[in-house]
Amino acid sequence: MTDTAETIFKRLRDLPSTHLLGTGTPMCAGCGGLQALHQIYDIIGEKSVFINAAGCMTLLSVFPFTPFRGSWLYTAMASAPAGAQGVRDALDILLQQQRIAAEEDMEVVVLTGDGAAYGMGLSSTSGAMERDLDFLYICYDNEGYGNTGQQYSGATPHAALTSTSKGPRGFSGFKKDLFSIWAAHEPAYVATVIGTEPLDLARKIDKARNMTGPRMIIALAPCPTGWDYDPKQSVDIGKLAVRTGIWPLKEYENGKVVHTKIPKQRKPVEEYLQCQGRFRHLFEPQRNDELIDALQAKVDSYWRDITE
Amino acid sequence: MKRMLLTGNGAAAWGARLAATDYIPAFPITPQTEIIEALANWIDNGAMNARLVTLESEHSMITAAGAAAATGVRVFSATSSQGLLYAMEMLYTVSGWRAPFVLTNVSRGLAAPITLESDHTDVMAARDSGFLQIHCATCQEVLDSTLIAYRLAEDARVRLPVIVNLDGFYLSFTREPVQLPDQQIAKEFVGRYDAENIRFRASAPVSQAVAVLGGSPYSYFRYETHLAAQNALLVYDEVAAEFNQRFGRQHNAIEEYRSDDADILFVMMGSFATKAKEAVDLLRDSGQAVGLLRPRLIRPFPTQSFQHLLGGKKGIAVIDQNLSMGMGGVLHAELSSALYGHANAPATLVSFIGGLGGRDISSEEFFEMAAVTRRAVDEGVTPAPRLLYNETELREIRKLQAVAQSEREELHNSADKPSGEQQ
Amino acid sequence: MYRIRFHGRGGQGMKTASRILGTAFFLEGYEVQDAPRYGAERRGAPIFAYVRADHAAINERGIIQHPDLVIVADDSLVPVAGAGVVTGIDAHTVLLINSDEPPELWKQRLNFAGQVFTLPVETEDRAELRFIGATCSGAAARLLGVITRASLSQAITEELQALGDAVVDKNLAKALTAYDLMEAHRGCVGTSSKVSATDYQNPAWVNLPFDDARIAAPAIHAAATSVQVNTGLWRTLRPVIDYELCNKCWWICSSFCPDGAIDVDDKGVPHIDYDHCKGCMVCVAQCPPHAIASVPEQEAQAQDAAGEVT
Repeated sequence: MTDTAETIFKRLRDLPSTHLLGTGTPMCAGCGGLQALHQIYDIIGEKSVFINAAGCMTLLSVFPFTPFRGSWLYTAMASAPAGAQGVRDALDILLQQQRIAAEEDMEVVVLTGDGAAYGMGLSSTSGAMERDLDFLYICYDNEGYGNTGQQYSGATPHAALTSTSKGPRGFSGFKKDLFSIWAAHEPAYVATVIGTEPLDLARKIDKARNMTGPRMIIALAPCPTGWDYDPKQSVDIGKLAVRTGIWPLKEYENGKVVHTKIPKQRKPVEEYLQCQGRFRHLFEPQRNDELIDALQAKVDSYWRDITE
Repeated sequence: MKRMLLTGNGAAAWGARLAATDYIPAFPITPQTEIIEALANWIDNGAMNARLVTLESEHSMITAAGAAAATGVRVFSATSSQGLLYAMEMLYTVSGWRAPFVLTNVSRGLAAPITLESDHTDVMAARDSGFLQIHCATCQEVLDSTLIAYRLAEDARVRLPVIVNLDGFYLSFTREPVQLPDQQIAKEFVGRYDAENIRFRASAPVSQAVAVLGGSPYSYFRYETHLAAQNALLVYDEVAAEFNQRFGRQHNAIEEYRSDDADILFVMMGSFATKAKEAVDLLRDSGQAVGLLRPRLIRPFPTQSFQHLLGGKKGIAVIDQNLSMGMGGVLHAELSSALYGHANAPATLVSFIGGLGGRDISSEEFFEMAAVTRRAVDEGVTPAPRLLYNETELREIRKLQAVAQSEREELHNSADKPSGEQQ
Repeated sequence: MYRIRFHGRGGQGMKTASRILGTAFFLEGYEVQDAPRYGAERRGAPIFAYVRADHAAINERGIIQHPDLVIVADDSLVPVAGAGVVTGIDAHTVLLINSDEPPELWKQRLNFAGQVFTLPVETEDRAELRFIGATCSGAAARLLGVITRASLSQAITEELQALGDAVVDKNLAKALTAYDLMEAHRGCVGTSSKVSATDYQNPAWVNLPFDDARIAAPAIHAAATSVQVNTGLWRTLRPVIDYELCNKCWWICSSFCPDGAIDVDDKGVPHIDYDHCKGCMVCVAQCPPHAIASVPEQEAQAQDAAGEVT
């Protein structure tokens, strides 16, 4: 567990009960990304400008409707961190030249999906980190190009069925370890979160909010549309992602990685896979033990390295 | 006001400095690098109060430029050729944000084959992007146009980014005498950038560049950008007149050189147009009524001015230093469309493609283009577009092809598949 | 209009020379255009720079086809076809060559009817001709006859001030010496006559034929064609192996030669490919028994020639 002394979020009761992010958005019912975003927005607040890259959440702001009480700028798929650079630098110039008052300053937040974060936008993200840009980066990771119909991306897990990996073994590649890629840049902060663990999320965002430099967050975003499950299961699936060890909750700071929630009795990965249509081919028409075991072995191997 | 020798790149950097630019997102590319090097040095030694950040690509550079302009600071950036194309998505995007700033493009031919030398195919590729375009023929114009460009970009009737274009090598690395405006007078001329209500402040949240659903709102926003670009015709004239008043140099949207009483006109843009001037003088010496029109403003396209200036002329030789594959010269096509159906339009519009990738255009070639155009007028037959390319050049490329073992004879004599591929 | 072309090698300061002369003209009240011309090639490769000066605005641009004055900083470039030193010269052109050989010999060699002047070469180490740019511009200024000593001095000071007073002073001394050396020939450079728009050479345009993409795509269908490029011409210093001293280590000079221009035969003896050695002298610096000497190229060529004669 992180040092709770740093945060006002000590118990679940400390979480906000009314929410800042406006309702009425076009996100799918049961969207795990939106769930994480509204929790994050409660903590960051409206003194913020969200710099967005092409993805599902681009449709959060469709003229003339926006859920944001603060500001927003849509850029393009590849270069949201560069947009953050321009806004941050411009605000710093305005502050330095005393052309705006200090209270006009804002937190600059990049908001992208996994398509931009793991792929096309990785170069501009790397650039922003190497320039030590003072910004927060939120990636909502639904493990595929969701806005275009869930084709596989660099974030798609092994064996998942996507609209471009429909064969009997699903996606042949492996999910890229973006956490480690980001951490290798030695930014101020890197963390994984999920909306189904709101206290862990709140602590991490609160911590990030009080730091300067690049602060990088990946939120696993259970996706009823792309992962093929009933929207009501979103939270259960998110919780299973953590309890099976598929989605390790962790943070990187000062060169060290700390796991913030180590599942005590890890559930079998199978339980997580079974309830999602994208993994149904592992169980029907007949069970594919080889692939299920391989997925379990990968998770086991990860945690063996962590806990031993 | 001081007169000094400056390269085109130096003049561009001075333009950014005199315009009191706040922010310079940068990325190096030949032949633009001297611009950002000069600005970086001035910032480092305290001569200029601005921030320069090198991004990791031109795509990011233009994103940062647009984002900073959308936050309310004055932005300058510079690129060339492949860089402009790498940024192309963002050119269209940030103009749609209505983010005003100035981008210097140092024109250079496009790959493939990759080259370092100048032509205008790069900047022509940006002609539909929503960036306005001012094309320069001298180093002086590079500086002056940069100052004018800020006024144009930031004018409330326009509010669009502007490209100031100069030719690689022929201007970028060439020193010419440049009158350097006084810092204070330049500052007064350019004025303060007022972002009005389109900028980010904590107290006044704004969602910029949001999506639309459906063609109708899309049509509205896009056409409004077009109307703003068209407003720039009028605003340019106003700003140029004020510039002339303050600095004593008139930069019309179309430069006219000995064109009033000419029956044959060259039309071309960029620094090679000064070579056309030289040819015009020599042709005049020989008693031929030849002149030159050089559009400075390419976006917005000065259609009406062209209709007026070309009305009643006999023959026009349009010299394009660019090439649209499968179509030909871009300026020729645009001029034809501007003149089509217009009463009094010249009947003969001859297309010449020349100066691609920095290939020189000789005086003799200008003479010959005038002669070809006059012949077309006399015979009433417009010849096919002509690439300026001679026998010696063809012989040279054949020699190079021999080294590269491009087996022309063998290829022409056989229909065989290339080797190395399984039949 | 004056049209002046400087020829040298990358690193010999031809850009600086053209700028000094350009600034000097400007100080004399001329309209000026000066520019270096370089491609992808590097230090040691032939480059040129040019200056135009006139009392009226200059509309000509680009490469000078018919120069009034050609300055050659390195006489080893004269015979190099790719350097284009003699391109477009005619009887009205003045040639100024940095060379120890007499003007008459150059006129004879080039079958050239115009005036030739030479500047004595002052350093053995031709790669380090640090002041040759200033020297050339000083001599050129005097030959032109329209640039005062004061303007030349001011131009040098302006162009080189960033390098510090010591560098300025040295360059000033060299340039002014060269300026004075040409005193007898002051004002010998004339300007060429205008081209005629009625009686001109037809540009001989051709209709570009369609070629199949298999030949018209920019592809080279052969290996290592670059060996046809004689980069040995870049060399101002020549590494010469003393086979008495060579310890036949079999690898050092050969592995470290960046251009791969040293091969070792089956007896362990290295051989330098002088057609491609650029004269970087890495082999000289690395050879453990110091068996490779650095010889000025021109001296080496003279020895070769003498060897052939005897």
